[in-house]
Amino acid sequence: MSTTFDRLSMILQQSFKVPAEKITTDATLASLDIDSLGTVELLWQVEEAFRITIPAPPKDLLTLSDVAQHIDQLIDQLAVRPAVPLTKAPAAATPADPRHAP
Amino acid sequence: MRRVAVSGIGVVSPLGNSAEDAFAAARAGRSGIRVLALPEFPLAGRLSTPLAATAQLDEAALFSSMQLRMLDRFSLFALFAAKQAVAAAHRALADVDLERAGVFVGSGMGGITSQDEGYKTFYGDASDRVKPFTILLGMHNAAAAWIGMEHSFRGPNMTYSTACSSSAVAIGEAWLRVASGQLELAIAGGAEAPLSPGSLMAWCALHTVAQLDPVEPSASCRPFSKNRSGMVLGEGAAMLVLEPWDRAVARGAPILGEILGYGLSSDGSHITRPSVEGQAAALRSALRSAAIDAGAVDAINAHGTGTQANDSTETAAIRAVFGVRAEQIPISATKAVHGHLLGAAGALECVLSLMAMRHTVALPTMHLQTPDPECDLDYVANAAREGVAARTMLSNSFAFGGSNAVLVLGAGN
Repeated sequence: MSTTFDRLSMILQQSFKVPAEKITTDATLASLDIDSLGTVELLWQVEEAFRITIPAPPKDLLTLSDVAQHIDQLIDQLAVRPAVPLTKAPAAATPADPRHAP
Repeated sequence: MRRVAVSGIGVVSPLGNSAEDAFAAARAGRSGIRVLALPEFPLAGRLSTPLAATAQLDEAALFSSMQLRMLDRFSLFALFAAKQAVAAAHRALADVDLERAGVFVGSGMGGITSQDEGYKTFYGDASDRVKPFTILLGMHNAAAAWIGMEHSFRGPNMTYSTACSSSAVAIGEAWLRVASGQLELAIAGGAEAPLSPGSLMAWCALHTVAQLDPVEPSASCRPFSKNRSGMVLGEGAAMLVLEPWDRAVARGAPILGEILGYGLSSDGSHITRPSVEGQAAALRSALRSAAIDAGAVDAINAHGTGTQANDSTETAAIRAVFGVRAEQIPISATKAVHGHLLGAAGALECVLSLMAMRHTVALPTMHLQTPDPECDLDYVANAAREGVAARTMLSNSFAFGGSNAVLVLGAGN
């Protein structure tokens, strides 16, 4: 938890220019001027930093503690089943695809 | 209709990042066109003509990291040019009714750099890590929106995309609204950043870009010259502050010029091939709009792209409207040095024309070494002409799609 929070804190400081003293576990995203658009970007950066895929935008991320717990949950899920690959190979054309029929 | 003053100007261009620098370079005939090379342009080797007029902007010094993530290059250009224009306009925004203040921007390709990056990630890298703001960076109206937000304007926020006439249209439409009394102030101009790899490749594929001059690459764009071989892409932005003449005078603002009118026409014939009738119609429409005779026009900034088709067609259109007097009108094609800024071209050329009138100079058409019998007017070849006291100029912008626009500009004195 502390490691996850520390890394989250670094993202907030570096990319969102949030002063370190405002970054506490119970600070809300709104109090840090991170609106819905900012949350989208934050989660994208979290995906990059933690090498995880956030399947759908969670609706209940109110505080930084919520965000950190959500990240940990996703990391735990990855430990028990293979990660969704960050990079996928392009799908090969299927010979049976009717669009390719002569 | 009210008189409309230009009280502020801002420029980001291959000729420098102020109206003064760009004008000085155009006057001296210094070209901003250069060879695109590694490492700055990693795919330059795959372009048939790795050539462009590039703008140099210290983005890290001018914008916050948040802005740099949220704004495409064309929006950064637009925002910085608008900032200069507002700063020059001597408190034009103080006490303005924000509901009667508008933004009018032209751009042909919008946030193409961001779109291109997104496609590269998805198709090229076969990655799903497309940046979340790709849509917001790439949309054509982003530049206008950011300018409007910067100043909390609540009037119309408009973006025009009529290819190479986009920003002439934007300035013209802004002029109409200020002149009619609908608006008290407008920031109007154009922005273009078309030098992403995919965009450059697409332009090369169209075979309208100039061949690289092996001896002097910066002289590859040669408007009205017999040996012209095409256009050279450029990037940048130019923005004007437009307001009622009386308001600017009352405030003691420096008046940098005047918009007198604006004409539109369409070729109605071909998606790329220009038409004499269409261009002549735009010129006549502009004269009617300003309520002036052809005899009142002292100089012209030509569309002058350096393509075979445009330059001979434009010459014929000017002859069709001005008759034998066409030969007495100094005609400048400044794209020879700043390249073709597409949707921002009309605005930059409007700025250079206003500056030329203030400095009583006709700007040169550079690299015009070989006369073309089909281009037989006075193009102010290769050297600026000093002491040209023009009071009224036309600035021509003719576009793919046949969307033609001509601005009528006054010296503002």
